[in-house]
Amino acid sequence: MAAQNKVESNSGDMPSTTDPAAEQKDRLIAAVKKEVKQLMEEAVTRKFVHEESGGVTALCGAVEACLGQGLRRRALGLFKTSSTTALLHKIAKNCPEAALVSARVLSAEGAPATRSASGVERRPSAPRPPLHKRGSGSLLGSQPPPTYRYLWIRIALFERQLAKIIEHLVNNATRYYERDALVADPDYGSILSSLLVGPCALEYSKAKAPACFWTDPPADELVQRHRMSAGTTTPPSVRRPILNFRRSLNASSDDNASVNAGSGNSTASSAKDYVESLHQNSRATLLYGKNNVRVQPKDVEEPMPGYLSLHQSAAGLVIKWTPNQLMNGYAESEGIDKSIYWAMSLQVCVWEVVYVHVHRSQASDALILVGQDGVQRPPIQFPKGGHLLSFLSNLETGLLPHGQLDPPLWSQRGTGKVFGRNKGRRRPMPSLCESGENDESEVDEVAGDYVFRIVNNAIADREAMRHSLLERVIQSPPRTPRRTLASTSTTSSDSSTMSVDCPPIIGNLTQTTITQVSLEQAASIELVCSTMRRQIISRAFYGWLAYCRHLSTVRTHLSGLVHPNIVPGENTNEGLTDAIWRSMMDEQGAIVDKDEVYRLVYYGGVQHDIRKEVWPFLLGYYEFNTTFQERQEQDCTYRRQYETTMSEWLCVEAIVRQRDREATAASIARLSQSSGKPKPEVEPCEVFEDDCSVISDNPPVVSPEPSENEQKRLEVKPVLSRAPSIDEVDNIELDEEKNENGVKINGETDTCEDITFDDDDDDEVCIKSVVENPDMRRESIAEIKRLAEGIVQKGDGRGLLCSVDSGNANLYGNDNKSIEEPAPNHAHSVIVTNPSVDLAVTGGSPASGGTTAPASPARSPLGVLREESHSAGASFDTLDPESRPDNRSNCVSPASSNGGVYSNELVENFALNLHRIEKDVQRCDRNYPFFTDENLDKLRNIMCTYVWEHLDMGYMQGMCDLAAPLLVIMRDEAVAHALFARLMCRAKDNFPSGQAMDAYFADMRSLIQILDCELYELMHAHGDYTHFYFCYRWFLLDFKRELLYQDVFSAWELIWVARYVASEHMVLFIALALLETYRDVILANSMDFTDIIKFFNEMAERHDASAVLSLARDLVLQVQTLIENK
Amino acid sequence: MAKTYDYLFKLLLIGDSGVGKTSILFRFSEDAFNISFISTIGIDFKIRTIDLDGKKVKLQIWDTAGQERFRTITTAYYRGSMGIMLVYDVTNEKSFENIKNWIRNIEENASADVEKMILGNKCDLDSKRQVSKERGEQLAVEYQIKFVETSAKDSLNVEYAFYTLARDIKAKMEKKQEASNPPGARGGTHQLKSNDQQRKPPSWLSRCSIL
Repeated sequence: MAAQNKVESNSGDMPSTTDPAAEQKDRLIAAVKKEVKQLMEEAVTRKFVHEESGGVTALCGAVEACLGQGLRRRALGLFKTSSTTALLHKIAKNCPEAALVSARVLSAEGAPATRSASGVERRPSAPRPPLHKRGSGSLLGSQPPPTYRYLWIRIALFERQLAKIIEHLVNNATRYYERDALVADPDYGSILSSLLVGPCALEYSKAKAPACFWTDPPADELVQRHRMSAGTTTPPSVRRPILNFRRSLNASSDDNASVNAGSGNSTASSAKDYVESLHQNSRATLLYGKNNVRVQPKDVEEPMPGYLSLHQSAAGLVIKWTPNQLMNGYAESEGIDKSIYWAMSLQVCVWEVVYVHVHRSQASDALILVGQDGVQRPPIQFPKGGHLLSFLSNLETGLLPHGQLDPPLWSQRGTGKVFGRNKGRRRPMPSLCESGENDESEVDEVAGDYVFRIVNNAIADREAMRHSLLERVIQSPPRTPRRTLASTSTTSSDSSTMSVDCPPIIGNLTQTTITQVSLEQAASIELVCSTMRRQIISRAFYGWLAYCRHLSTVRTHLSGLVHPNIVPGENTNEGLTDAIWRSMMDEQGAIVDKDEVYRLVYYGGVQHDIRKEVWPFLLGYYEFNTTFQERQEQDCTYRRQYETTMSEWLCVEAIVRQRDREATAASIARLSQSSGKPKPEVEPCEVFEDDCSVISDNPPVVSPEPSENEQKRLEVKPVLSRAPSIDEVDNIELDEEKNENGVKINGETDTCEDITFDDDDDDEVCIKSVVENPDMRRESIAEIKRLAEGIVQKGDGRGLLCSVDSGNANLYGNDNKSIEEPAPNHAHSVIVTNPSVDLAVTGGSPASGGTTAPASPARSPLGVLREESHSAGASFDTLDPESRPDNRSNCVSPASSNGGVYSNELVENFALNLHRIEKDVQRCDRNYPFFTDENLDKLRNIMCTYVWEHLDMGYMQGMCDLAAPLLVIMRDEAVAHALFARLMCRAKDNFPSGQAMDAYFADMRSLIQILDCELYELMHAHGDYTHFYFCYRWFLLDFKRELLYQDVFSAWELIWVARYVASEHMVLFIALALLETYRDVILANSMDFTDIIKFFNEMAERHDASAVLSLARDLVLQVQTLIENK
Repeated sequence: MAKTYDYLFKLLLIGDSGVGKTSILFRFSEDAFNISFISTIGIDFKIRTIDLDGKKVKLQIWDTAGQERFRTITTAYYRGSMGIMLVYDVTNEKSFENIKNWIRNIEENASADVEKMILGNKCDLDSKRQVSKERGEQLAVEYQIKFVETSAKDSLNVEYAFYTLARDIKAKMEKKQEASNPPGARGGTHQLKSNDQQRKPPSWLSRCSIL
């Protein structure tokens, strides 16, 4: 920059001597070129350029220098200023772009304080750290004082007008510039303006937080990059340990590539990533890059120019060539099908190359890579001028330390290159010819052909070590002996860590060994060698022995994971279809061949339409040999049980509600007291409404009811015809209403205990009657609710009792009507509405008609409020219109069918669970359309019922996730509950209280060790892997969060049936399959434990499930085969 | 390319389930709010690199499951963390009361000098508030922990909270380094050790050396 400034200051009095002037112009334009190039690279690696980046300043400086040169300052009246800003203002009259920029510049200069404002503007609430210099703000605000130089060029650049302004200057150069000025030059002028087109198209960061400077690449990007690079590269098979499976990611990447080719956006973004990968990045060092290297791909007539680059990554050297057409990662929507170019691009792993042929001719330098398989890659033609040589020397350097070019490019004697100026020798193998380093003057160079062999000690060694067992042997001994091994180069080090950590050591050792060797006498060498050999062999043997023992242990252990007999998967492509399913049933509906069902499902899954029918079988809820009728009866019985259980907890729930209200009211009261605010609600009525919205998120909904109630109260009926809703309960606690309460409840309020007994009897009768009379089933829940319903609670939260007349059971229809017109004959009963179980709803019984009406006004506010609901009462209010009023009206009789008053402990325990359930149900899969408020409520009921039945276990986060897909398929609450209970039999051990998780982790470890030792090595190296927490969620939820719903269904089916077909621990293999799918990404990026957690969390719901599942089946098969071969 | 950051701080978010830990994290890392967050299972983390007095500080913020049942897993993460955010929900009294339990949990599991901060989240829901700001402050004074009320939804004080915590950690770290460097010898080894502990994550070291 300093140099440029000097240039600039000189430029004013530049004498018109032609030669230095031309030279200076050259220099100026070269400076611009360089800065543009750097800026573009920065843009491509980071996807954007920060406005305050040094590159921007440098570019602006270079441009300024160009513009300043030969400017007719005096003629334009600009002699007072050294900068070109005045020029800008001058041309603003004629050039609209300049006018725009000029205005911006003026306003920016006028408001130097904008910087601090910009930061605040972006994150209004965030107090900025004082030295947060990197903060970028809006365009205008981003002019920090230190970079006031080149202000207008800067702004013009950000506004993307710079190129146009320069173009204007060039076009009108005669007006502003001396004749010999750079801008006035017909060539340089246009070069300058076109150079700047690129930077003007860049994105300059403004809205981005400074964090994006340094963020890690997201999982998507990693996978995408991998797909790009995996397209053509297949690491040498030697490096693959035994039992390594096909690279599933590659397989799927082909499909993806073709899909991507069609859709513009994804291609563009992946292209951008790919281009980015060509540059220097954290994963691969760019050793060499050259543009306009020509390659003639297959099916193309002419060699095409492209970008050749040499990368050093963890896996080794990679040569990439990308057609120019692809290099423009930013031209996103050109509408050109780029897929053909992708096919043309080259990616060659250097270790796969055996020979490098060099053909030098007058026209060009060509380089041909010949692979291990003898296949030649298309010739790579370098432009003349030493590029080939510099490529080769970079290649040679890159090969070090554990590889080399043979013969070396540089002579051992250090006198010169193998070829530089080659004096007409045509030799297939170049010897170490002495020649000067004069590669600049290659124009007169004579053609020549050369062949280099790429020697890779590691690979050569590995070839000898093909036998996988032996390969492992070497892995087991500690590192020190391994070095010894390597240095002798008779045997070798292990495969996987080779390229990562060993090479430098080996390299050094080789050298030291060599020096030693050269120093010592032949005899001692021999001695050393034989000692080494002995050592190696003994170590190898013991290593092998230890390994075999270990392997046998692991195998024994693993043999428990899979079934010994392999069930073939023929004719299972379609899975279990409707037709097959029907054909497997006899006329009674019994299924004879259940193994066939399992087999079909295992290999092909269940057709979606019949999942509802099949799942109960798969989960063991229905027996296969049952008939239609039996199953129906089973359903009925189960439903009844379910409803009974529900009634029990609903009772407790009401108590819980009551307590919640009190607690909430208390804390709110305390809050308002402490804050000195008078409680706004004074009048009972208002209190009521207000309390609802405040406390429980109960929307004001309730308003129609209280009035109704109020009315009834006035009538002083002995019965609450509308049971006190929870809201009412709320209401009632307030002192004002206490008295009234007493009145209402009449004599029944006396003592809980007494009434409890009475009521108990009633309950039994009631439920019995329900059971006896099948027709009544529909109403059973409602009836139960009635029982539960009741009486207003006393302040202490204990439910009061409302005895229920058992005779009422038969009078349902009337009961419902009682809501509107309370009938005196239902002296003790309270409202009956529909149970939330949907069967009652569908009944078309008068009940639904009766209850819907009062409920409907409640609906609309509900939806809104629900989102924010937090308290326990929340989901209660979100019942569908039919069931809501019912639930709401649930008050509790402390005595229910299980008799007795609930202990405080029990109530508290359930309350705790209830709150958790509701918190989780509310946020369960809300973005999945199935989960409307109504269905969420079913989910809640399932959860509560299950937890009620397993109170000692309690609710655990994750249960919702497990029940949700079941409900989605089954729709019916009771059956879904049945299946959930079945599912939990196995799944409960996965939760923290169980032991299964640790076992899974241990098994995972063994499996990885057996099936993919390369990955195992990596994990082992990072140590942290003793706890496979990244797959915690996988196992806990059976991959429910990892896959999309439809895929969850298939995965679950697979898991369920696998226990009958192949393995009781299918989850393990699915987990392994997931891991294997991305093994290359994990290996390539050498991910540690945290990286993997992040990676998989980001990849959730983006997996190719069918590929993963089929890989999982393959893995099972592999283990089965492995054990069989034992 | 220079190394990507000067410091790596591991932070941890704990608090009852449903208080908004994930939302706070999401607000801080993505500057967005999503009403339909599903409960966190297991553990997750997000990264944001911030500029602190000219230093690039990479914050690796771990988000945990709130239910105490999962503490066996989450406590494994206490040890490595250098800063802990204790989150409660101002509309939920219970979650506030539980802060004490969480603090005890920290005392049992985290390193003794871990930086802490209490966040009273959801302060936008003023109509449902159950815990006054004063009570939060009082608790903070009692435990000598910094406190701020936040709203992930309205993006209130979230940035501030993380910056404050990060700055405190940085200050503590630099102080330690100063303390350990000049005198050396006896006190030094101990200091260094704890320093190492803080920098322990292997990724930190490997990243730096790779880049």
